[in-house]
Amino acid sequence: MRASHINHALDFVRDAVNEASKWWWRFFDWVAVVEWRRLFLTWFLVLLFFGMLNTPEPAVWYIFISFAVKVLAGGKRKAELMARDATMQANVATLERRLMEARMAALQAQVEPHFLFNTLALIGQLIETDPPEAARVHAHLIDYLRATLPQMRARDGGTLGKQVELSRAYLAIMQARMKERLGVRFIVPMFLHSAPFPPMMLQTLIENSIKHGLEPKIEGGTVTVRAQVVDATLQVEVCDDGVGIDPHADDGVGLANIRERLQLLYGSQAELLIATPPGGGACATIRLPYQMMENA
Amino acid sequence: MSTDQTFTALIADDEAPMRDLLRARLQAVWPGLQIVAEAANGLQAVELGEQHKTDIAFLDIRMPGMSGIEAARQLYRHSHIVFATAYDQYALDAFQQGALDYLLKPVSAERLATTCARLRTRLEASRQPSRLAPAPPEDIGRQLAQLTALLENKGKAAAEARPKSGYLRWIQAQVGASLRMVSTREVLFFQSDEKYTRVQTTSAEFLIRKTLKELLDELDPDEFWRIHRSTLVRVDAIAEVSRDLRGRQMLRLKNYKGELEVSRNHSYLFQQM
Repeated sequence: MRASHINHALDFVRDAVNEASKWWWRFFDWVAVVEWRRLFLTWFLVLLFFGMLNTPEPAVWYIFISFAVKVLAGGKRKAELMARDATMQANVATLERRLMEARMAALQAQVEPHFLFNTLALIGQLIETDPPEAARVHAHLIDYLRATLPQMRARDGGTLGKQVELSRAYLAIMQARMKERLGVRFIVPMFLHSAPFPPMMLQTLIENSIKHGLEPKIEGGTVTVRAQVVDATLQVEVCDDGVGIDPHADDGVGLANIRERLQLLYGSQAELLIATPPGGGACATIRLPYQMMENA
Repeated sequence: MSTDQTFTALIADDEAPMRDLLRARLQAVWPGLQIVAEAANGLQAVELGEQHKTDIAFLDIRMPGMSGIEAARQLYRHSHIVFATAYDQYALDAFQQGALDYLLKPVSAERLATTCARLRTRLEASRQPSRLAPAPPEDIGRQLAQLTALLENKGKAAAEARPKSGYLRWIQAQVGASLRMVSTREVLFFQSDEKYTRVQTTSAEFLIRKTLKELLDELDPDEFWRIHRSTLVRVDAIAEVSRDLRGRQMLRLKNYKGELEVSRNHSYLFQQM
């Protein structure tokens, strides 16, 4: 009992000291960076206030302490704060470099040799058995590659419509390969086609759905892409009814990449959510801020 | 020549166009070969292969349900195995060293003709004498086992898919009707909270039933450290360690406001170098 009382008392004292030191340093920082003019103004006000109360002592102490702090520590503190600003700027540079790396990684993850070789093999075989279908798949492959490459160079050319179009080309190729094992559903209202949307994210999610959800499933399944606006948030989800997610499977560079890029582009305003609905399969949702009026 | 010289074959590929092409090619280069079964996945391939006991099995390597290599491990005793793949550098390396037959997709007529000629002589040789030499299945079995091991290990580094790591990578938290999958890379720390364990990410907080002890056993020990009886923290998320007035070590995390206490038992984790 006694020990716990002492502990409580100690905790209280510690908290009080913590709080006091926090306020002291806050005051210290403020004095260090505030302009002399404003400091004089506060002196005048404090003098006036305590003068009216007829107890000028606190005011004198305040003036004395803040003057001392300002003279002694102001320069050093200011330099410290400036150094912090400089570090922040360096961080921004690092972030930009990381973004470039993320883009390169996205590109590499995108056109993976497996996909390319299998599609080319398919075209090769369709040329003999079904030339019109071969021409269609070939055209989709060209669309897909053309859309993938220059987009990586454009800094901010991504709209949702463009991403959907690109994904359709990819899905058309996968449908030619998987036939009736792959169903595709797009629920994207026309007005959202012009909404800005970062490149290569939708495709990564769709590819994951197919690669990890539907390809391993014997009877296959359906990929559903749905876009909607909920409370000024653009919500784009990719759902499949595949085998679901193994909790021991690594989440892969693709998702980590999306998360990092969302963080860089939108900070805490955007997020990537992964869920497994009760009916099975997996759902990945990207949520990012949506502005009603796209500025011209 | 005679009727007992006809052979049977099984084709397994999850992509129908590929089966069509292989069938058409086989009919052209080896009209006598009877394609008695076609399978669209590995399980079906094993089932049909056991049922028909075909002389030859053409197996795609990547198939849902069961890979072609796994299927081959069950079928090689009565069928000659020929693998087909469009791109699988590790498998190709292995094939080139071993005695296993393989085809590159899309299958060219010339390549298929050579393979078929070789198969034919082998099959005829094994039928003609006194049925005493059924090839060396043990050898094939061993090669297949090696191949499986090789693909499982190499696949990890190669396929940027989700390799099986053995450690827990996703935290499943019930949110409404569905199960949220929280990647361990998003988690800042786990903290036991009476009956539940609290999972903290930069943007959200979840409660799960798994105990800290269970998590400790399943998570990657290099990814998460135990810093307190009731706390597991993600190493990457640690920003700095400081001491408070009572001399306790406190952790500050990136993108998170609060602090975490390091117990004395675990303070050795944060010694100065």
